[in-house]
Amino acid sequence: MLDSLHRGICRANRAIALLLGLALVIMTLIILCEVVMRKLSLGGLNLSEEISGYLMAAMSSWGLACALVERAHVRIDVIRQKLRAGGQVFLDLLAMIVTNGVVLLIVVKCWPVLEKTIQRGSTANTPLETPMWIPQGLWFAGWAWFLLTTTVLSLLGIAWLARAQRAPLDAALGMGSELET
Amino acid sequence: MIWTVAVSLLGLMALSIPVGIVLFLLGIGVGQFFSPFPLLRGMGQMIWSSSASSTLIAIPLFVLLGELLVRGGVAARTYAALDRWLSWLPGGLIHANIATATMFSATSGSSVATAATVATVAMPQGERMGYDPRLFSGAIAAGGTLGILIPPSINLIVYGFLTESSIPSLFVAGLLPGGLMALGFILVTALICRLRPGLGGPSRSFTWEERLRSLVNLVPIIVLFLVVVGSIYAGWATPTESAAIGVVMAALIAAFGDGLKLSSVADALVGTVRITAMIMLVITAAFFLNFAMSSSGMGRQIGAMIEGAGLSPYATLLVVILLYVVLGLFIETLSLMVATIPIVVPIISGMGFDTIWFGVLMIILIEMALITPPVGLNLFVVQSVRRGGSMNQVAVGVIPYVAVMVAMLIALIALPGIALWLPSIL
Amino acid sequence: EEHFAGVGTWSNVYVFQDYEKPFWDTELSKLTNGEMSAEVNSLDQMGIAGADVYRMLGDGVFDFGTTIADYAVGDAPELEGLDVPLIAMTPDAAHKMIDAAEPMVKDIFAQRFNATYLGMLPHPPQVMFCRDEVRSLADLKGKKVRGSGRMTTKFLEALGAQGVNISFSEVPGALQRGVIDCAITGSGSGLDAGWWEMTKYLVNVPFGGWDTAVVAMNTDRFNELSEKQQTMLKDAVKTGLEDPIWAAANDRMEQSIDCLSGSEACKKPTGAKMEIINFSDADIAKAKEILVSTVLPDWAGRTTPEWVSRWNDSVGKVTGVQIAQ
Ligand code: NA
Ligand code: NA
Repeated sequence: MLDSLHRGICRANRAIALLLGLALVIMTLIILCEVVMRKLSLGGLNLSEEISGYLMAAMSSWGLACALVERAHVRIDVIRQKLRAGGQVFLDLLAMIVTNGVVLLIVVKCWPVLEKTIQRGSTANTPLETPMWIPQGLWFAGWAWFLLTTTVLSLLGIAWLARAQRAPLDAALGMGSELET
Repeated sequence: MIWTVAVSLLGLMALSIPVGIVLFLLGIGVGQFFSPFPLLRGMGQMIWSSSASSTLIAIPLFVLLGELLVRGGVAARTYAALDRWLSWLPGGLIHANIATATMFSATSGSSVATAATVATVAMPQGERMGYDPRLFSGAIAAGGTLGILIPPSINLIVYGFLTESSIPSLFVAGLLPGGLMALGFILVTALICRLRPGLGGPSRSFTWEERLRSLVNLVPIIVLFLVVVGSIYAGWATPTESAAIGVVMAALIAAFGDGLKLSSVADALVGTVRITAMIMLVITAAFFLNFAMSSSGMGRQIGAMIEGAGLSPYATLLVVILLYVVLGLFIETLSLMVATIPIVVPIISGMGFDTIWFGVLMIILIEMALITPPVGLNLFVVQSVRRGGSMNQVAVGVIPYVAVMVAMLIALIALPGIALWLPSIL
Repeated sequence: EEHFAGVGTWSNVYVFQDYEKPFWDTELSKLTNGEMSAEVNSLDQMGIAGADVYRMLGDGVFDFGTTIADYAVGDAPELEGLDVPLIAMTPDAAHKMIDAAEPMVKDIFAQRFNATYLGMLPHPPQVMFCRDEVRSLADLKGKKVRGSGRMTTKFLEALGAQGVNISFSEVPGALQRGVIDCAITGSGSGLDAGWWEMTKYLVNVPFGGWDTAVVAMNTDRFNELSEKQQTMLKDAVKTGLEDPIWAAANDRMEQSIDCLSGSEACKKPTGAKMEIINFSDADIAKAKEILVSTVLPDWAGRTTPEWVSRWNDSVGKVTGVQIAQ
């Protein structure tokens, strides 16, 4: 049960990362179109400067959970590597719970940004006049998803610890030592 | 305050809490204890605005470019070709690490992406051939830093953005120092391995026929450099746009080379998102920490300290350099630049130093910060590609290359023309 | 003693260096007989985005905030009416326009940002730096121009230019390499940033308005002050900050143009030798016509009829421009 929950969240995050990657590909093509059209003096689409900012915001919130389940977030192991397995498990769980707490705070503090935007009907200060709730809503949802992921992983970690199942705990919360290629 | 922050930073990081999260915690702490204002209320706004940045889109683009070259086999073939040409030197394959990093630097705007690319192709070779892991991985981490000195460069874009100086001029200014530094890396490697052969691997020699035949494998990367940098100088594209052109070009090169499988494209995309998110967590957190520290008056303290000392221009420069060396130990580099440029560059240019020249100088200091522990993004990246082993090994391995960087700094101060000559004739 | 901390405009612009910083850091205390003191950081030093300054001010992240009003129009589209291009051609006219807008700005800040208006600071007018000759409106057609702000970009497009959206950092390079033909910024910042190195022609028409900055204080913080202190603070901002900047506005504007053209009147010559181009009266009239017939009604669509009539009755009246409703 626990393991399949973990596998599920990993798969979901891979799918999300793939979607973000596809968005980046589309963005690349838009930029290329703009460069070509400008060179040929065909007039610009003038989307890329603005939309690439929104894409960056979405990538840096939705991508966080993917980096987390693949253990790509940078952690310093100077002390951890000197500990025995029990100590390592303790640090891994501590790191995850602290992360979970900070992300909770971030989500709470990010909500007012979106809230104000919705209340004021804020738009982008550009000719496109993008309603800002769209990019900010996407961005906020990404942080909320990250919160959900950290919470699930923290709870999974505690459950595994309670059952003394060290292997899955290490696989999910341990230190990523290889960038899979 | 500076010391409290530094000590907490080290303590929390030692607990193996993710670096980005530690920076957020510190920002929260500084806001609560050292600032008279409820800075937490500005946190969401800072996170949104620092991540919704169109300049930063260059990061995933350059990472993707590197991923495509790795997965399309271009990186491996470049590496193999450079191995043919350089492995006769004492130190063997390590020279190929440096040369590959240098060539990739010319197509990538990010040091992290360069280090990740080279590490991915080189590390398995080094492990297979039984190289001492220290110098081998140190060379990759250090060589990778050239990614931001040799154009294109995300960090030079940021510097140009903050100081309002010409980005193309900055790009050309980085070219010669970047080349010299690569040469310095090779020389120091050869010297060390001549004295202590155990640190390198076997010197191997190849026939001239093998070497000449391998040259064709260098063509893709050279073409890519010409397209990425050429599109900027031909007036077709801005530096950010050139990254997008580079991605399309890299995809074409990979597709026409070994061919790209759909699954490896998917892996490249996922990998790009993962690395980008990892970097962005650190950058956003650093922006928030910078915001917290400057609202509690830390930037002011540093500025007043430098200006109030009444030092001569060169003494001031020395103080500034030391400041970067120390801060660079702990602080993520892009945020270090964002935090300090508005304070430092006006002082430096007010003393008569050239802004473009100082940009190059600063980039070398930033390169140093990338490979000095405890916070050195390139160390982390190289370590993350290794299978096992401690990060300390990588950190020890970069020491000789840090020495080369120091030598380069001295040369640059003695002969500013190293940076300024090329921009003056172009 | 009351102590305030806040955010000012860009650290590299003279308005911050020569006026805001000395005012908050030292003058305020002198003007209030030591009853008040303050410290200011520029927004770039704090790493705050322009659009966030008033949002954070409203939340009480700092006590006072000053930023270009145009940065906040995403949150308050009615604020666009403060800085309409081309309807004020001289500092005096701009001063009248801004004075007329003051009651509106007060209300906007109270309603939108939980902030109390303290004053407004002009920057040198936003003019156009071009690589190639642009002598008339007709020459502007098809030129790739990087504007700043929503209304300016829309205006340029209505004039037949092609608006290009690239970030400020990329402007010099883009000009140099011909990615864009022209770019708009304050004459002073263009001088400081060395845009004259990449361009030859300076179209001395305020296409981007005056980049007016608004000084405001968090209302909760302001209400903590006694009535006497409130008046004292407002007076200090007026006499110590607003008035000196206005008094110098004419000179500053002339100096920056003199220095850009390499005239002998320039006190700190940089080597710039741009040709200064003034559009003919007919062209100005035509551009103004397009502004009134297209750009302003477009703005009216973004805001409410109440704000438009208030604008017509205040700014519109002193500048002789009326938006049809
Ligand atoms: Na590079
Ligand atoms: Na470091």
